[in-house]
Formats: sequence, C-alpha cells, structure tokens
Amino acid sequence: MRGYVLRRLVAFVVTLACVSVLVFVAIRVLPGDPVLVMAGPEANPEVVARLRAAMGLDRPLLVQYGEWLGRALRGDLGVSLQYDVPVGRLIVSRLPVTLPLTAMAALFMLVVALPLGLYAATHARRPGDYLAMIVAQIGLAVPSFWAGLLLILLFSVHLGWFRSGGFEGWTQGVRVGVRSLLLPAIALGLFQAAVLIRATRAALLEVLGEDYVRTARAKGVWEGLVVVKHAFRNALIPVVTVAGLQLGQLIAGSIILESVFALPGLGRLALGAITARDLPVVQGVTLFVASCIVAINFAVDVSYALLDPRIRYD
Amino acid sequence: MRSAAVPLCLLLVVANPSVRPVAAQPAPGLVVQVAAEPPGLDLTATPASATAGVVFYNIQECLVKVDRHGKIVPWLAERWHTSDNRNYTFFLKRGVRFHNGRELKAPDVKFVFERAMNPETKHPYPGYYAAIGDIIVKDDYTVTFALKSLNANFLLNLARQGSVIYPKEAVETLKSAPVGTGPFRFGEWGRGDRIVLGRNADYHVKGLPKVERVTFRFIADPNAALAALKAGDVDASLFGLGPEHVTDLQKDPRFTVIVGDTTNDVILAMNNARKPFTDVRVRRAVTHAVDKPEVLKGAMFGMGRILGSNVDPLNPYFVDLAGAVPHDPGKARKLLAEAGYPNGFDAVLRVSPQYQYTVRSGEIIVGQLQKVGVRVRIEQIEWGQWLSRVWKDADYDVTIIGHAEAWDISNYANPKYYYQYDSPRFQELFQKSEVTLDDKARRDLYVQMQRLLVADAPAVWLFMHPRLAVARKGVQGIWKDLPLPASDLSEVSAGR
Repeated sequence: MRGYVLRRLVAFVVTLACVSVLVFVAIRVLPGDPVLVMAGPEANPEVVARLRAAMGLDRPLLVQYGEWLGRALRGDLGVSLQYDVPVGRLIVSRLPVTLPLTAMAALFMLVVALPLGLYAATHARRPGDYLAMIVAQIGLAVPSFWAGLLLILLFSVHLGWFRSGGFEGWTQGVRVGVRSLLLPAIALGLFQAAVLIRATRAALLEVLGEDYVRTARAKGVWEGLVVVKHAFRNALIPVVTVAGLQLGQLIAGSIILESVFALPGLGRLALGAITARDLPVVQGVTLFVASCIVAINFAVDVSYALLDPRIRYD
Repeated sequence: MRSAAVPLCLLLVVANPSVRPVAAQPAPGLVVQVAAEPPGLDLTATPASATAGVVFYNIQECLVKVDRHGKIVPWLAERWHTSDNRNYTFFLKRGVRFHNGRELKAPDVKFVFERAMNPETKHPYPGYYAAIGDIIVKDDYTVTFALKSLNANFLLNLARQGSVIYPKEAVETLKSAPVGTGPFRFGEWGRGDRIVLGRNADYHVKGLPKVERVTFRFIADPNAALAALKAGDVDASLFGLGPEHVTDLQKDPRFTVIVGDTTNDVILAMNNARKPFTDVRVRRAVTHAVDKPEVLKGAMFGMGRILGSNVDPLNPYFVDLAGAVPHDPGKARKLLAEAGYPNGFDAVLRVSPQYQYTVRSGEIIVGQLQKVGVRVRIEQIEWGQWLSRVWKDADYDVTIIGHAEAWDISNYANPKYYYQYDSPRFQELFQKSEVTLDDKARRDLYVQMQRLLVADAPAVWLFMHPRLAVARKGVQGIWKDLPLPASDLSEVSAGR
C-alpha cells in the first residue's frame, strides 16, 4: 500500500510538471498578444512596447518559464496583470464560491443519482425504470447553461424566490450563501446526475444477475438487504470510478455556470483571464485545478481498496 | 421515485417564498449591470472603456467636462480664459474637496499633467499633452497652461478620461482604490463580481448625487443580464444587451429602453495595401455593393444610424453623407470590370465573435458582395488574435469592427494604421485641422476630410452603433447619448 501511494505521489508531481509546461507553452503559442489585449486597439506602439517590458514578456521564453517555475515552487504564482493582485490570493478569494458550488453539485448528483439508479435497476424494464431512464435522458440532453437559464426564468424571474445571479458571500450567513449557489449547483449537477443514474443502474443490474445474489435470495434473505448489502456494495466500484471522474468535470463545468449566474468563482476568473491573456492567472488557475483533479483521482484509487479488499496494489 | 422529491424539498426549504429577494425591498442605492469588469481603475494607466465606465465622471473628474449633449463646459475649473490660443488660464472652483478631505488646489493640477507628460508614468495618451510647454501655478486657484504650438483639441483633451484630477498622495492606490473629486467615493471591489461606490456628501455640485450608493455588477452573459433585470436584481443595464434583447423589453411596461447616439463607428475596413483593395475602383465597388439599410436591419434590428464617412453624429463637424455612395450592384460590377476583375475575386473577412454585431453584419455583407461576384469567406477569430493579426500586423483582407473613440478621424492620417490608407492630401488636411482654431475654417477642413474619405473609400462606414441601455421604470437621469465613453450616474435617481 505504501509503495502504491509513493508511486501515485510521483505520478502526481510528474503530471503537474507536464501540465505546467503544457499550459505555459499553449498560452504562448496561441495567437493573440496579451499586451495588445491589455492596451486595447487605440493604444500607440510606444505604450505597447512599454507595457510589454513592464510585463516581462520581452524576455526569452525559457527564461520566463524558469522564473515562473522557480517562484511557483516557493508558492508564489506571480501577480495578475489584470488586477495587480497576487495570483495565489485571487485563487483563494474565489474558492469560497467554487468549492461549495462543486460540493453542492456533487451532493445533488449523488442524492438524485444513487437512489434513482438503484430504483431503476431493481425495477428493470418496468414503468418506474422507464420513467427514471427518461429523467436521465432529459438530464443528458439539456446543456447545463440552458438548464441554468430555465431555472433562473422559473425561480428568479417568475417566482422571485432566488436572485438571478451574483454571490452575497458567506459573511451574511450560511443560508444566504447556500441560496446564491443552489440554482447553479442544480444546473451543474443535472448532467452528471443523469450520467451517474445510468452508470449505477448498469452496474447494479450486472451484479444482481450474479450467482451469489441468487444464492442470497434462495436463502430467504430480505430483498432490501440483498440489494443494499450484497449487490450495491459490489456495484460501487464502477460507480465510484465514474463519480470521481465527474467531480473533475464538475469543477470544469463551473466555468460556464459561473458565467450564467455571474458568480465570482474560479471558473469565471479563468475565463476572464484567458480572454484578457492574463498569463499568470491562467497558469495559476490551471495548475490549481489540475492539482485538484489529480488529487481526486488519487482519492478514488485509494477508495477502491476500502471498498473491495480483494484489490491488491502491491 | 421518492428520492426525486428530496432536491425539490431542499429547494423549497431554502427558497422559502416568505423571504422576499433582496432587490424587492426598497433599494438603498442603484444597481447597474455592465458587461466587462475593468482591468484596473487607474485612468492614467489604462485606455480601457470598462475602466472609464466606472471611474470617469463618477469617481474622478476633469477641469472641463463634456456634458450629456457633447458640449465642453467648465467643471473643476469654474471658467477659463485665453487671448492668444497659446496660453490658457484656468480658474479653479473654490471649496472642491478630494475624497480624502483635502481641498483641490492649483499645484494638484500641475502635478497631474506633469505626471501624464512624463514618459516614465506610462500614460496611455501622452500625445494629448504633447503641445503643453509649461504649467504655471499663479496662486492656489489659478493655473496657466502655456502651449508650444496651437492645438485645436486642447480643451477636448482636458475633458478626456486620461485628464482626471487626483491628489498626489493617492497615486499609489489609483489602480485599486482611486481617489478623486467625483460625486461618488470608491467603496469596495469584489473582483469578478462588483464595484460599490458610495455617495460623496461633500460633492461640489449641490444636490448631487441623487443616490446613496451605486453598485456596478459585472454580468458578461447577455441572457444572464436580461434575467437579472427581469428579476429586479439590477435597476439598469448600461452595457451589454444587444438589440435582440432590447426589442422584447421595449414592449414591457416595467422598463424604459434608451436608444441613443454614440461615437462608435462600425466599419468594414479594407486592407488598402493588399491587392485588390489597392485599387480605389475595387474599394468603391465594395461600397456600392453593400446595402447599409439591410445590414442595419439585419444586424441591429434597425437600431443605430447609417454612416457615410468616419465622423459620428455627435461630432459638431458631422456631415450626413449616408447617401453619398448609394447601394448600386450594377455600378459595383462595372467598377470591378474596369479594375480588371470582371469575374470578381476571393477574399477573407476576419471578425471577432467578442462583438456579435461584427459577425452578424459580416454574414449579411458576404451575401451582398456575392451578388457582385466578390466571394468572401468569414473567418471568426478570438479578440486577442484579432488585435494581434488584424490591428497590429494588418494581416487581413477585410474586417468589421466598431471604433468607439471620439474624434478618431486621425486614424486615417496614419499610413501605418491597420487600414494602410496612405493619402498625402488627407494627411495635410488633418494636420491643418489640428492647428486651425477658427471654428468655421476648421469645420471646412473636416467637411473636406469627410468628402475625401468618401471619394477614396478606404473603408465602408456601415453604421453608428447605438447606445442601448435599459432601466426599470422609476430610474431617471441616465444619459441618452454617449459623447464620450463614460457612464455619469451623478444625476441618476432610483425612484420606485
């Protein structure tokens, strides 16, 4: 187990190093000059040249990368060109929006998908199963931004229960914060919930057809116990794999939902930084998100061992 | 299926309809939506219109001001005097206080302009102050600008966003917490979300501002902005809604739709240095082939004004040349044949979807040009790429973009500008206009320049992009026209 964890840690660092190179190169080979984006079309060439020197973008690429990596290793991700604020501070300031949003979306996904998938599998090819599959199909078919707009239309414009967007902050109480994030979390979690319903149903259906389940039933074990204790736990490995990948997708999906709901989160920070060619922020956010996703995958791998003692890692 | 009820219950519990949304209660101030967040709040460091939209005339002001009718009026200077158009003496209004409590005095004015003229400070528009030779403080309330050369735009340049007056002790915080003399004080900046300004109780204009607080909310997505308006979360949308949203709101009795004039000229620019656009007959043919009313109708739902040359309707020297080159496909084909292109030619139109009106206009124009044999392929490129490839490197055949700056006819006097239009005659007229102070003579020069542009057709001037703002009923005082890229909210009231 220890060897496995060590190997995963090495893979973690290597992945991050690759990501850092990729991000650094990709953002620079993209056509589009950050200096021109900052200065705007009315600026004259002297202003552009001065700005370029001030931003350190007139130096060789390798020198820029070396400096950036050296500082990043010391925890300094640089200063945002757009806001003139340390990137680390910017990222931290956006976490109170993005982390709870992702967590709420994940909770929504699990609360909807696991019971519905379980229900569909235990009622396979019966009306309840078809209904659950129709719900899943709708979830898959509706893009998250569209779901977000529909939720705003219903709950903000027509009913007036929620604000149409924006974030009031946690300082005004948990309730206010949760209210701000609930609609975007549902819109964000909808698609992933639909995927998970299908994954849960498929995994459970397969296990329910196994011999040991038939044996359990033949022994006269109560059906609820057969499903939950014998079948569901064994069906969890593919479900956890899918759910782990989905967590990463939820973080990525927040980019669009944060724009639709005008939330000051990490996704919107990244989007604005890409448009403005705010290189330190793009690099910092991408590194951060990549670290989160690699960490989630690591946690998923470790959870296999907890769920299924047969799995040997060494 | 019972489980499906869980999220719904959660929704109902948290939503609790008995608690009304914040915006439904009497507003303590005004909440306005803008599409773009400023890249910084220092008007002496960035030319961004998003910065001007928040700071200019709200937090910081100039010696003179361009009012809502486009007229230059005394502001921090209560009057000015010049006998020779070389020495301008400004008499400062007494008792004007910066937001830090200190009174504005003549040395502050001297400091601000000397800093702007200093190349080290990276002012975005040093050219505006190039004519200034010396700044002499006569007493605490009197300051004289001695010019090295005549400059017809001197007063206008003092009213522009780069000429705001701030205290020298606040230079360090200009980017994140600007201090000025404006009707509102900087409050807080929730990055990515909002900027809040508070009322300046010591404002030098009695009775203003009319609201206690202004919150600028950054909502880039037009659909989200529309929803925020309809849900009552914002009182007004100042920038960002398109004509497709506005037509719907015009029928809604809860809102007032403001359609006004701006200095934003939308043009179909041709690369005058690249074949076949080097030939004036080709450029004229393209102009004849474009049906501008159809473009305006299709791209802007008919909102805006058709242009014939590069001076906007808010400019005092504007000449309406919209009908000077009528839509005439037959003549376009004839001109193309004369130029050696009887079967037309192929070209690429580079546009950036960041500005939807450019893509929409392009789609219509491609169809119109097809009818005269000019086969145009649209290439959508991201804004950063557009700036780099089209604007900086002039690597393009044709492009569509709006030029928002006032008095930007000067671009045609610059042969290196991305139009690549090099006319010694035009350059001479422009240089003359810069040093001609007699209004009639200057007007004549501007008329000549506009007519010369029509004849040389370096671009097709399509339409003036309209000012589109929407406010809920009860909000009053929003500027209808935008003679400068500013959102002066000092006179806006938020009555219910």
